[in-house]
Amino acid sequence: MSEPKRLHFLAILFQTLSSIKDWFLGLFPLIFLFGRGNFLLYSLIGFSILAVIMIGYSMIGWYRFTYQLDDDQIRIERGIFIRKKRTISKHRIQSINLSQNIIHRIFGLTSVQIETAGSDADVDAKLTAVTMSDGIELRKHLKPSKQQAMLNVETEDTENAFASDQEDTVTSQIAEKTDNQYDYDYVLENNYPKYETPFKRLFLYGSTSGGFSAIMGIFFLIIFEVENLIPEALYESTTAWLYAQAIWALIALFVVFLVIVWILGVFGMVIKYGDFTIVRYDEELYITRGLWEKKQLTIPLKRIQAVGIKQNLIRQPLGFASLYVESAGGEINKTEGTRTIILPLLHKREIQAFLEKMLPEYQLDWEQLIPAPKRAIPYYLIKSSIVPFLAMIPTAVFALNWLWIPKAFFVLALIIGWIDYRTAGSCITKEQVTLQNWLFSKETVILKHRRIQALEKKQHFLHRRHRLATIKASILNNFMGQHYIVHALDQEQVDQIGDWYSYRK
Amino acid sequence: MREVPEQRIAKTAIKVWKIQAIILSFFPFIATIALFILANMYDFSYWYAIGLLVFTVIEVILSVFIIPYVRWRRWRYQVYDQEVYIQHGIIIVKRTLVPMIRVQHVDTKQGPILKRFKLASLAISTAATTHEIPALREQEADLLRDQISILARVEQEDV
Repeated sequence: MSEPKRLHFLAILFQTLSSIKDWFLGLFPLIFLFGRGNFLLYSLIGFSILAVIMIGYSMIGWYRFTYQLDDDQIRIERGIFIRKKRTISKHRIQSINLSQNIIHRIFGLTSVQIETAGSDADVDAKLTAVTMSDGIELRKHLKPSKQQAMLNVETEDTENAFASDQEDTVTSQIAEKTDNQYDYDYVLENNYPKYETPFKRLFLYGSTSGGFSAIMGIFFLIIFEVENLIPEALYESTTAWLYAQAIWALIALFVVFLVIVWILGVFGMVIKYGDFTIVRYDEELYITRGLWEKKQLTIPLKRIQAVGIKQNLIRQPLGFASLYVESAGGEINKTEGTRTIILPLLHKREIQAFLEKMLPEYQLDWEQLIPAPKRAIPYYLIKSSIVPFLAMIPTAVFALNWLWIPKAFFVLALIIGWIDYRTAGSCITKEQVTLQNWLFSKETVILKHRRIQALEKKQHFLHRRHRLATIKASILNNFMGQHYIVHALDQEQVDQIGDWYSYRK
Repeated sequence: MREVPEQRIAKTAIKVWKIQAIILSFFPFIATIALFILANMYDFSYWYAIGLLVFTVIEVILSVFIIPYVRWRRWRYQVYDQEVYIQHGIIIVKRTLVPMIRVQHVDTKQGPILKRFKLASLAISTAATTHEIPALREQEADLLRDQISILARVEQEDV
């Protein structure tokens, strides 16, 4: 139907940057570890040569990469030495996402990510840079619409259709409708259920996020690494000066440092999740987010395996939670695993209303949740504290002075066990089971009957005596399956879930 | 999950597990002997080696003379038209329900020891989990495999 096309030439830049990044990340630690004197110089020269090679390679790669739209498929040819041709049929495509990072946005470009039902990244496709209009055109062309699919079935049914002219008018009407429908701007402007996260909430999300501890870790790492690069003399004089300062100065420095890290973390999160908008439209959830990199995500409902509510240590006392879905298949660059956040932050009172509006297929039954019985308390406490308890024995024998360390951990573990006990619970309704537990954050997952791949009830002899049982429900995700476990619930409750799950009625 | 599944696995499974346990316990035995020799050569206390010996003996008694029997007694399964129901576990008893419409494929496997006893194991895989019934009589395993794959052939909902 159309000529083979190349990507926008800036794709060369993206390719070069990404391969340089890969190499750099791989070699960076090595250079820092062994980087002394001449070696550093040589490796820099090596790097420059490598960079030139990678630029050339990316250019040839760009030249050899073409895509072509046919009636009902997209054909991609690529590869420098080994030519790879891939055809993706329109009917296999589940979603097409247009995302733009900062460079894309300056030049009016977009990346196009084509996702199929499979979980294999190799069957999906990504066009790193095309013009915005080409991207929208691509999506309109390739996204199969429900109406069209229905029409195909209808025409098959009435193969010997006599009123062909009538049918033609129907076709054109529907074509007009679908044309509009798959333009997402149209969707955004119209009255589909929609939820935007206000900026204030995003700020709160960033500041209560555990992410800032990760950034802190990176900072420490960098400091230790930079130490190697600083000339010895300078280093020594600086340390001498530092030692000369009073201890309180160090502490003040540390606090300032923490605050800076924290602010950076907040900014990172706000930039990543800024302008977070989720739209429910037909059988899909459609998410756009990001201030610098505008990311688009499409989650077809049939891919959703579970809906989860997570309240971390800081958010739980404040009454805030974030919502995610566990989905199978899709997304080429799996940086966040199979969990997709469908709402960064909302108050727990608002969850029910949000679900009703955006995902009425799932209900939150927090009031009906049946907690673990009182007789389960010892099991929760023992389960969480057994390891530090055992650690106390050799410490008491060999290093009595250090006994306070396992002791502290033991107390902490007891508290964890207690909170887990207070949180644990389950409940079943007609179509779904809700499981809740706690391990540093409170997690509530809602599982649909037909999404559970297998259900397991576990009991040891003491459990049996106390009529307790542990439940484990397995669902599909991209890799090995995800297992949700709640310990030591009432045996009767677990049996009821078993009866509910059993197909043998 | 209230009732116990009815079917037991082949009784010769006990022998198979015993043989496997004996083979595996060679390693701690060799380690024990090595430790005795080292203690002799480098002149340190024999008590470490004695400790390891005690451990090895207990391990052998458990894994050869006790666990196979308990394990066999516990292992039960039952294949219904709609689902497979499995019970196993030595201290922690696990009962698992695997609905037929979630079954993706069924395999039978046979290593040299199982073959010697005309046994086979049957692995039932869903999209998220794999469940293995360890020792069935050959014909029974084949029969079950075919039966389950026919029952699982009912229309699969998309995942």
